[in-house]
Amino acid sequence: MEKQELAPHVTEISRVLGNKVSEEQIAKELDTYLNLYRVSLETAKRSVVRKLGGDPNALNRGSQKKLSEVSGTEQNVDLLVKVLSANRKEIEQNGEVRTLIYGLMADETGTLPYTAWDADRFQLERGQVLLVRNAYSKEWNGKPQLNLGTRATIEQQPQDAVKLPEGMDVPVYGPSVAKVADLQEGMNSVTITAKVLQVETRKIETQDGPKTVYSGMMADETGRVQFSSWHDFNLKKDEVVRIQGAYVRSWRGIPQLNFGERGLVERVPGHFPADLDLYRSNPRSIDELERVGGAFDVLVLGTVVDIKKGSGLIQRCPQCNRLVQNKLCRLHGKVEGQYDLRIKAVVDDGAGAITAVLNKEITEELVGITLEQAIKEAKEAMDPEVVMEKVEERLLAKPMEVRGNVISDDYGLMMIVSEARLSVPEVRNEAARLLAELEGSQ
Amino acid sequence: MIGREVAWRIFAAEYNQSRLEIKGEGERAPSYIVSPLGAMVNRVFIVGVLTDLDNIGTGDEPLWRGRLQDPTGNFYISSGQYQPEATAALSKMEPPAFVAVVGKTRTYSPEEGTMYVSIRPERVRIVEARERDHWVLETCKATLRRIDAMSEAKQMAAPTVDELARLGNTPLLAEGVVKAVGHYPDVDLQRYRGMVVDALKFLLPEYQSELETEMPAAAAERPEEIEDDEEAEAAAEAKEEKVLAIITRLDKTGKGAAWDEIVDEVRRIGLDKTALEEVTNSLLDKGLIYEPVLGRMKRI
Repeated sequence: MEKQELAPHVTEISRVLGNKVSEEQIAKELDTYLNLYRVSLETAKRSVVRKLGGDPNALNRGSQKKLSEVSGTEQNVDLLVKVLSANRKEIEQNGEVRTLIYGLMADETGTLPYTAWDADRFQLERGQVLLVRNAYSKEWNGKPQLNLGTRATIEQQPQDAVKLPEGMDVPVYGPSVAKVADLQEGMNSVTITAKVLQVETRKIETQDGPKTVYSGMMADETGRVQFSSWHDFNLKKDEVVRIQGAYVRSWRGIPQLNFGERGLVERVPGHFPADLDLYRSNPRSIDELERVGGAFDVLVLGTVVDIKKGSGLIQRCPQCNRLVQNKLCRLHGKVEGQYDLRIKAVVDDGAGAITAVLNKEITEELVGITLEQAIKEAKEAMDPEVVMEKVEERLLAKPMEVRGNVISDDYGLMMIVSEARLSVPEVRNEAARLLAELEGSQ
Repeated sequence: MIGREVAWRIFAAEYNQSRLEIKGEGERAPSYIVSPLGAMVNRVFIVGVLTDLDNIGTGDEPLWRGRLQDPTGNFYISSGQYQPEATAALSKMEPPAFVAVVGKTRTYSPEEGTMYVSIRPERVRIVEARERDHWVLETCKATLRRIDAMSEAKQMAAPTVDELARLGNTPLLAEGVVKAVGHYPDVDLQRYRGMVVDALKFLLPEYQSELETEMPAAAAERPEEIEDDEEAEAAAEAKEEKVLAIITRLDKTGKGAAWDEIVDEVRRIGLDKTALEEVTNSLLDKGLIYEPVLGRMKRI
């Protein structure tokens, strides 16, 4: 390495040593390490500082790297990052159990996986913006990884210190203390208080052999949710429990609550809404359901703004139950279709839209026609569309209440309706209430 | 995920004041109009009284034009051969009727800087009075939510979509509000609040008489005094003159005065919309004004 190239490093070492050593001497020492012993620049600098009585950890202060510049060989690097995820894991090391935190960190140039080797010293949480000092990097599977070891320190920074590109940022999840209606795919370390409505024991096979799962349903005043406990907390029906450290995974968009050994379950004494209220969930807004991606057994109030094709009197394949069009099943070719009634209605509440699928029984009740009558009318008119017209006549532009499980697919939200009711709510009381509110505020 | 565009609940007065269009780029990108209260509208659901309906096309190529009145103003709808379901439904209707429309926004810009909005129906149904009332209440609530979002945005130094969404607004409304704040700097929220108050009173029988007497207050303070025809005619002519003056004054561009602005303006001289319509019909009959485009009145 040439002299000019060394100059900035000499200045840096001099600064670390408090300018007490002449630059000439530093340059000579550095030159020896680099050109005689041929060690890396990083090691050379640390050795020189140590040899001349300084603190090698003071090196590199103020010199930060972007994540995209991390090569996997840094001994000592400072980074300004946002924590995208923070997961805790227990490991055994020399017969001692310790907890570490691993996850992803990001800045505007990219993301890198990290491991913080001491969960007590580094209280990392998802969403934190941090100045990490004296981390080191290693290559693993051909990619650099960050490590926060004994020398590393973290300092909290304001949220806007790191601006991540759109789509990369930490989704804004609700508080970690959540109600059932807040639960959303991907949430970790949730604290929730709910009543156990049902619980059953199941044995399942996993990679690590047979396991017992305690699953069922819980509820609070905002809704009901299915849960799986991977550890025996001796949960009993009708108990009100506070669970800490739960996480949410969803099935077809329906959030489900999970907790295991690391979760904490306490019995909570005191008042809780009556079961009746727990089953009578409040209506949910469709845009909120869009945000969480689905829900178990919810109530939606809206207006039927469209009836989709494939509603009314349809034919299904006797083998696979798929829709038969022009006497053809997509899978089984030409088949003798079996008649069925169903409605795919678009229910819109002014904030969002959802496709509500109504089965034969609900369709019969709502439209006031039985399957037999529908078949008869279609045959008389020689056109199954007459049933569709009847459906539209009855439902289109009408306010409707639907209840059921909400799932999501590529085309948006879909509700498998378990109950449906057409009803025009009375308006005067609410109009008077709103008016009083408005005039009171003026 | 390709979501379906939500059907906004919006009053005619707010809808018709929209002057900002966001054109979707690319093949399937939706277009929107942004209302003064930040509704970012691609689709609407409206219920009102169908007051006018004409086929200005032919039997083979029908083009139905209609007016749908809500408590705040008129929606203009037009439906042709590319809206077969709506067109077929309209062809069987006769005003007056309570009608619900699910439709897409349409804009018309005869030249740069001007924009008129109307609605192209997808589905049209005859409904009942109580369904109209339900819609009015829902639309009051939706309008109040937008007024709240706008006043929140106005308190922020530089409102952002994220911040507004965090306050519980839907992402689309948050986006619309940010755009509206930039495009309609002088939007009078108090006036829209007043509009909602009137619409709520419209639903409550105890205010019906108040609404009726309040409107013609100034021009016909004591209507029982105007007994003979001559006097009534003189009063009518006085009204016509005032309205004519207002139309002339509001017609700054030479393309006619916007109907909604006339409605707002005549309120000051004590005329409600029904009274105004009487006056303008008379003026149209006398050939003193004409309607160059739907929603504009121009002095001849």
